Amino acid sequence: MNLAWLDAFLIFGLFEVMMFIGLALLLHLQLGLARIANFGVVGFWGLGMYAFGVSYVRVDWPFGDPWQFLVCALIATLVAGLAGLVVGWYIADLDIDGALVGTLGFATAVAILATTEQELTGGALGMGGLGFPYDIGTVKENELVWLLVTTGVVGAILFFVWQVHRSPFGRLLIAVGANEPLARSLGKRTFRAKIGLFVVASAAMGLLGALFGVMVRFLDIGNLGVEITLAAMVGLVLGGTARVWGAVVGIVLTVGLFDIVVQSYLPLPREWYTQALPVLREAAFGLALMVVLLFRPLGVLGEMRRDRLMKKLHGR
Amino acid sequence: MDLVTQSVVIGLTQNAPLVLAAIGFYLLYRLTGLINVAYAETVTLGAYFGMWANTTFDLDFFTVLLPAGAMAGLVSVATYLLVFRPAKQRNVGMLEVIIISFGLSIFLRHALQFVFGYPVRFFDVPPPDTIQVLGIGVSSFRLLALASVGVLALLLYWFIQRSRLGLQIRALASDESLAQASGIRPLAVTVLIWFLAGLAGGLAGAFYGVGSSVAPLLGWRLFLPILLVVLVGRAWGLGGVITVGVATGVLLAGATLQFGQVLYAQLLIILIFLAILKMRARRLAAVEGVAV
Repeated sequence: MNLAWLDAFLIFGLFEVMMFIGLALLLHLQLGLARIANFGVVGFWGLGMYAFGVSYVRVDWPFGDPWQFLVCALIATLVAGLAGLVVGWYIADLDIDGALVGTLGFATAVAILATTEQELTGGALGMGGLGFPYDIGTVKENELVWLLVTTGVVGAILFFVWQVHRSPFGRLLIAVGANEPLARSLGKRTFRAKIGLFVVASAAMGLLGALFGVMVRFLDIGNLGVEITLAAMVGLVLGGTARVWGAVVGIVLTVGLFDIVVQSYLPLPREWYTQALPVLREAAFGLALMVVLLFRPLGVLGEMRRDRLMKKLHGR
Repeated sequence: MDLVTQSVVIGLTQNAPLVLAAIGFYLLYRLTGLINVAYAETVTLGAYFGMWANTTFDLDFFTVLLPAGAMAGLVSVATYLLVFRPAKQRNVGMLEVIIISFGLSIFLRHALQFVFGYPVRFFDVPPPDTIQVLGIGVSSFRLLALASVGVLALLLYWFIQRSRLGLQIRALASDESLAQASGIRPLAVTVLIWFLAGLAGGLAGAFYGVGSSVAPLLGWRLFLPILLVVLVGRAWGLGGVITVGVATGVLLAGATLQFGQVLYAQLLIILIFLAILKMRARRLAAVEGVAV
């Protein structure tokens, strides 16, 4: 396969867009429907990444790829889901402050453990030894296939989120976000719904972390910064927290714009790429988060379809 | 030398600025009910302003403290007038305001790198003397910092709890409309609180910065401990925040000595405080009869 026309940066940029769409879709379930601000997205994602890396590199499996990859990805998903169970239980009966401190505390704990447990994670030196579970030719070809695999996973997440919107569970999450005490007084198991939401969303975030680990093939604690949470959150908020497609539109407008258009196609001075551009990217994301929530809190796509329908029916 | 004595001496001298930062954060939290994530950058900016004044005008550390704190206070007021006040006027929900403060935090942290540069910076101060306190060598500089933080914390405590303006601040925090009816000017008092909070945070940042280095993540790394101290200590008012802050500093030092690794100590503190908050919430839920 001749891929000379395809830029390696473009493949990685598209991979990042896909991964952040997945994270933003899962955050949409938490923030957009249940109105739980998960400031620890990077914690679940990072836990999945390291659980995958440690099980893939440190364990002597009796079988090779692709089974090794599949088993390790499953472990990453289960570990992140288990963490979601604990964090979900922790924040289920707490207010906004409790959710913030719980999720932020969890992300900090993951970053600390990834740094201190050097024998497992490599600590500040990082951990190599990861690779694609196949070899079809050049690095570029392997990366392109991995981009397609990730696109498939994110497509499945999109389908799942779409289905949740139309399910009784989705309606319960919306009720939790709108008025939790009322939903509880009507006999709805709101705590259980929140815990379930965290388990599923965290497990999928962990899987996305594992996919990222394969793509970069080297795990670095520098990846566990707040930038991951910020990118998912700013994309979702810009697109619209209440809409499924908000995550997709927002991430394309933010991560897509910066990591593909600006990084690859704008004729910028070479020295900008090392420090100025990443700093500018984060500053712009922070500013976008503020401006959107101040002036257009429902984002580009606006409110939910069902809310529009209700207004149409009831005139308010 | 026993662990307790070492923990107390090291904890108090190293982590005293945490108390100051927690007081500032508590003031805002008490008034607005808002977890202002951007407070982390107030701490960072205090360190940067202090370092800038110190290295640019060749001033000694204690001379730059006040301007550094005042500049951080002014930035804090500016964030209120430009971001948080418009958000309140637009009836933006509490969850969204917290996310706005998160965005502001990220924006300030990265924007300041365009102003002060990307590399880690340092204060230009002479090497400190070592003084023996209960058999433990402590730098003269840290002792002065402890004394300064102690005086500033007491002054802030007195101002909030005993002065007339402090009474107005507490009245406004309790009931804005009632305070307004009593002749208190909400805007002036609110601006004063944001300034005082910024001042306290900025001073804490300057103390932390001179003790180590000045970097964009300085305030963010302190944010979770500050938040936990305030959320745990708030039940007992400002005095509770100060007490929990002091206890946290000592516990952090003790756990670091025990584990030989500051990160494990931080992890332990996070877990203990999260457990306290959870137990408190469950007790409250049990009292209110909410099924968990």
